[in-house]
Amino acid sequence: MAANIPNDNLTIPASWRGMAPVLIAVGAVCVLISLGLFYFTGSEAKPDVGFRVFFHSYLANFMFCLSFCLGALFFVLVTHLVRASWASSIRRLSELLAFTISWWALLFIPILAMVLFTNSQALYAWNGGPGSDLPMIVQNKLSYLNPGFFAIRTLVYFAIWGITARIYFLLSRKQDDTGDTEISLKLQRWAGPAIMLFALALNFAAFDWMMSTDAAWFSTIYGVYVFAAGLLSFFAVMIILCNMLQNSGRIEKLVTVEHYQDMSKFQHGFIVFWAYIAFSQFLLYWYGNIPEETLWYKVRMTNGWQYVGLLLIVFHFAVPFLGTMSRHVRRNRGVMAGWAGLILVAHWLDMMFLILPNAAPVTPMLVLGHLICWIGMVSIFLALFLLRAGETPVVATKDPWLPESLAYQVGP
Amino acid sequence: MASIASPAIDNTIDIPGRRTPLVLGNQTYASVTHMVARISEEAQPAIWWIAFAIAFPLMLMFGGLIGYLILTGVGVWGNMSPVFWGWPIVNFVFWVGIGHAGTLISAILFLFRQNWRTSINRAAEAMTIFAVICAGTFPGIHVGRAWLAFWLTPYPSLNLWMWPQFRSPLLWDVFAVGTYASVSLIFWYMGMIPDLASFRDRSKNKWRRMVYGLLCLGWSGSSRHWMRYEKAYVILSALATPLVLSVHTVVSFDFAVSQLPGWHTTIFPPYFVAGAIFSGFAMVLTLLIPVRAIYNLKDLITPRHLDNMCKIILATGSMVGLAYTTEFFMAWYSQNPYEFFTFWNRAFGPYWWAYWIMFSCNVITPQLFWFRVFRTNTVIMWVVTIFVNIGMWFERFVICCTSLSRDFLPSSWGYFSPTWVDIGMLVGSFGLFTTLFLLFCRFLPIIAISEIKWTISQHAHSEHRYKHGHEHH
Amino acid sequence: MSDHAKPKKTPKPPKAHGWMAEYADDNQLLDAARKVKDSGYTRIDAFTPFAVHGIDEAIGIKPTALPWFTLCAGFAGLTVALTMEYWMNAVDYPYIISGKPYASWPAFIPVAFELTVLFSAFTTVFAMLGLNGLPRFSSPFFSNPKFDRTTDDRFFLWIGSSDKYFNSEKVQSLLTSTGALSVEEVREDDSPSDIPKPIIFAIIAGILVTLIPGAIVLNMRNAKSGESRLHVFFDMDFQPSRHTQTSTAMFADGRVQRPPVPGTVARGELGATDPYTLGYDPSQTVSTDSATAAAKLVSFQQDGEVAGDESKGAEASETPAVEPSETEPTDAEGVAAEEVTADPGAQPAADEAAPAAAAGVPNYAWLTELPVEANGELFELGRHKFEQHCALCHGYGGYGNGLVAQRAAELAQGYWLQPANLHDQAIEEQPVGRIYYTITHGKGKMGSYAASLTPEERWAVVAYVKALQRSQNAQPSDIPTRGDIAQ
Repeated sequence: MAANIPNDNLTIPASWRGMAPVLIAVGAVCVLISLGLFYFTGSEAKPDVGFRVFFHSYLANFMFCLSFCLGALFFVLVTHLVRASWASSIRRLSELLAFTISWWALLFIPILAMVLFTNSQALYAWNGGPGSDLPMIVQNKLSYLNPGFFAIRTLVYFAIWGITARIYFLLSRKQDDTGDTEISLKLQRWAGPAIMLFALALNFAAFDWMMSTDAAWFSTIYGVYVFAAGLLSFFAVMIILCNMLQNSGRIEKLVTVEHYQDMSKFQHGFIVFWAYIAFSQFLLYWYGNIPEETLWYKVRMTNGWQYVGLLLIVFHFAVPFLGTMSRHVRRNRGVMAGWAGLILVAHWLDMMFLILPNAAPVTPMLVLGHLICWIGMVSIFLALFLLRAGETPVVATKDPWLPESLAYQVGP
Repeated sequence: MASIASPAIDNTIDIPGRRTPLVLGNQTYASVTHMVARISEEAQPAIWWIAFAIAFPLMLMFGGLIGYLILTGVGVWGNMSPVFWGWPIVNFVFWVGIGHAGTLISAILFLFRQNWRTSINRAAEAMTIFAVICAGTFPGIHVGRAWLAFWLTPYPSLNLWMWPQFRSPLLWDVFAVGTYASVSLIFWYMGMIPDLASFRDRSKNKWRRMVYGLLCLGWSGSSRHWMRYEKAYVILSALATPLVLSVHTVVSFDFAVSQLPGWHTTIFPPYFVAGAIFSGFAMVLTLLIPVRAIYNLKDLITPRHLDNMCKIILATGSMVGLAYTTEFFMAWYSQNPYEFFTFWNRAFGPYWWAYWIMFSCNVITPQLFWFRVFRTNTVIMWVVTIFVNIGMWFERFVICCTSLSRDFLPSSWGYFSPTWVDIGMLVGSFGLFTTLFLLFCRFLPIIAISEIKWTISQHAHSEHRYKHGHEHH
Repeated sequence: MSDHAKPKKTPKPPKAHGWMAEYADDNQLLDAARKVKDSGYTRIDAFTPFAVHGIDEAIGIKPTALPWFTLCAGFAGLTVALTMEYWMNAVDYPYIISGKPYASWPAFIPVAFELTVLFSAFTTVFAMLGLNGLPRFSSPFFSNPKFDRTTDDRFFLWIGSSDKYFNSEKVQSLLTSTGALSVEEVREDDSPSDIPKPIIFAIIAGILVTLIPGAIVLNMRNAKSGESRLHVFFDMDFQPSRHTQTSTAMFADGRVQRPPVPGTVARGELGATDPYTLGYDPSQTVSTDSATAAAKLVSFQQDGEVAGDESKGAEASETPAVEPSETEPTDAEGVAAEEVTADPGAQPAADEAAPAAAAGVPNYAWLTELPVEANGELFELGRHKFEQHCALCHGYGGYGNGLVAQRAAELAQGYWLQPANLHDQAIEEQPVGRIYYTITHGKGKMGSYAASLTPEERWAVVAYVKALQRSQNAQPSDIPTRGDIAQ
């Protein structure tokens, strides 16, 4: 079967990997700069507001990277589940992204430490505990929203994702050596239960980490929203990643224009799905017009956040929806990489829109600090990803479905 | 014709890297045409007549009850303060939900290139249309003065001098269900055109030839026609996919835009859609398991197809379970006393029996499909799908009736009891549905012949590739 | 090949349409198609039982413009829907529902989406059929029964006789060399192309029949008819209840409207004959007019007459009598004052007001003292109600210069009557019962406030009006002296 597989260069360029320490250093510096920036500019009105904004910004950027890693994990699981042959060219890259989750989880430690060891309300108002002046509605939730239980749940979520990603990555690596087709069957068999655990963990992690930054507010669709955003950004990341690797002479024949078209189709589908979920949530709260529900939107429709909301409608939905509709665009990887970049910017705005309005109004300084924090976090993420990937081949060449993946022609 | 022996190979077993055949028994193009076309050419089996003899009178009864309702008034139903949305709306949502599988199979599975859909999509689409007909009947007669239901359309009226109210979710429903019904119908019909041409070309009788000739619009099988046809099919699938989602989403808006506890929750749209797919697939299985046995179609609707459908039922059933959990959790988390009371009341109030029927049928029974043995035994499978149908009917009952019967004001609490007309109409709607489906089996191609042929050709190519690859190995 | 004579008029065999080769599977067809295309033929087509992938390139079929039809229809659907919703709900027929704005864009999205899909889907299917030239019930390819297998299990390749390189023998040998199962000539369909007369007749008849209901409806809309309409559905048109002001044989007196059952009091009418409720003492009538009115009132009470009289008698002895001579001129002056304040140019208005005056202003034994305890609470209630109901016209100060009056003066509408100035001498002198009566029954253009204010609230307003009058006409004696302050 090996004769069918084109001989491609399958390792991430060494020059990229060599940049990992630099990236970590740059990342750490940027995060510290943003902390300083927030601390010294935000402290005029209230002493703790700078700290508050920093933690919100940190969480938003943390979720920015985590969301597409979770999208990658879901993609790995679901393509095994439905025996999607086309995906076998790009599944290893998704496995690597998902495999990075367990290291990326280390960056949650500052938040966890703040919750566990202080009473700081910088990120979560409920962390003040029963003694603080929380509204009654939040006081009643403290049996769920308390530091101990929060930490346990966080560990469980990361354990579910980390272990699943590790199993799927290692077994796939094993198949690289042995070519054992039984491994594919095994991965397929366990994908169902793994997806169920994944969905439960994602749903509740979204509630715990993100939704509870506004402890009084609630929305049952929130987990689905984060899932939609994660999968969308995952496809954008994959398109950019494949394009960059091919530009540097890697996987030139193993990832074909058909794969770009498929990824772009899925990206397009999730643009619509994200809009559908976002609109459903908005419409129901707008129509119901119940104060405790609309407050969340009220905050996001004032203080400059309304412009971020409009940007989301335009650049998270309308423009990329129309722009990536055509088959010709989808089959042009350079152009698609541009669109994917736009999607990632919109995704960054989306994460910001979900979390930051709870902390402060939009100001140029806030955007600047958040951007620096983002550069820092993404640099660290990239470094972790490159270290995680190492010299691992970025395509699983012994995947039994790979020949079919390469032979496939997308229809009309 | 090729003898239909029990399948020599078990196509539910996966061989990584090799596609299992979707059609069994060494079928040729000609044998597929024959196997499907003979159903409408030969006399129907006795069981068809028995089923028709049961379903047709039930359909007539449905018509009679509608007449009785219109002449007498909606008071013949059990709808009474505070439950003004009783069984008619429950039945409406139930049937609309059933009607989701067909277009899902033909559109979404098509876009996902799930070729196994080819054996089941035609029957599922037909089922969709018949279910939507049943569904559309209920709100139509529920408006009270059914003969004025046309007021819902935005037409320039000289009598009313007014327009429909586009801020009402009930009007969205009119547009959503209307669009869905008409687009599904045209999608179904377009899919049938090549197969109707097959029927035409096989017919010995002049009249039969003329009728099918008219229906297939003079299809010749030209490659130019096929190219545009395929393009249209892709576009329709891309349009129908969000359409399917939108229909049950809009149905969920009927409930969710209100402020009633238990209705006003943001997860309703995706949760309703998942539930609809769940019930739709269950109904497809309920129908196709007998159909493949009666018409000897086991080589076309193979264990593989049933196995896949069971897995979809399992997946969507679990999604519905996740939604139930989320709702219950959020009822507590929101710290809204009314919300929490409603959920407590659902599970432990006067309708506890309905809630637990719903929960056990929808969440627990599908879990059987984790095990291969249940996914290959058609009898058990059939029983489970019946349970799922029951469970999904009760889900709508629980949503409609428990929330309405006990809302904010304890002094206006009540308990819903159906009348004999309610029960008769539910049974009668099944009569209508079954009658239409039986007529469909009698006259139209119940399996997409041309698409099956395409999968046979595809399988030949992929086998060739597989064997070729192994020679080099 | 260029015989232009119509086949049906010549007995010759039908015109040739090309050659058709038959293959057993799609791979053979694809190979043959590539070969034929490489030979330079362009008028070629394949006929297959399913969509063979790769045939487009093999015979050189250009991509279709179908997606553009869909896109345009989609935009059209979206535009039509949004325009329609906006125009219907925000422009032509605006009314507030659920507290939502007229143009509720979020609520317009579902229907806009549905119509986008509806337009695009139908356009796609009909454009596909149109581009394919379907329906087409007659074609050369239907003339040979052998080609019927194209929808079953055979694949055909056709080279048209209109191809510029077409040469019958060469084409035949080329097709034979591609390994075809058979090669046959296709001829034009020579069956008559006219539609049979009975079918035309049936179609026309069908169209006419479908027009009938519409014609009937149109006729009925435009014609007048003396007959009552056909009631398929009753729509509550026929009810067992009787219309008002008609007679019935059911009751001895033949009246449809029934008097109250003896000994009962209707809701809200308890104490309807009290001076407290009326503002005057009905037992001490002072003029003929009011005597008749009182008699009428009493007649409602038919059987309760005696008891009512007794209670009235008892009340009368408690309430101090009012001298008629005092009230009568005041009343007349009040009317006069009101007529004077009216805009002289407002002739119709004056005419309208005249009957009220002519009918005679009641001349009752007005209460001169508040029948309720005047305290701060009552005063506060009175102020509240006055500002709510009265100040709009009479003004907060009671000078008849409320916002409505100002607005009316600005518009200078002829029929507007200036509201009374509550500080007019005539009104200042009115007893409290008289003011109460005006609030209860209205006066001139002023309507009754009985529905808006309970008797207690009316008395409160009276108290407030009295205080207001006092406040605007304070005397030096009203200023507290040092001694008063010391107290």
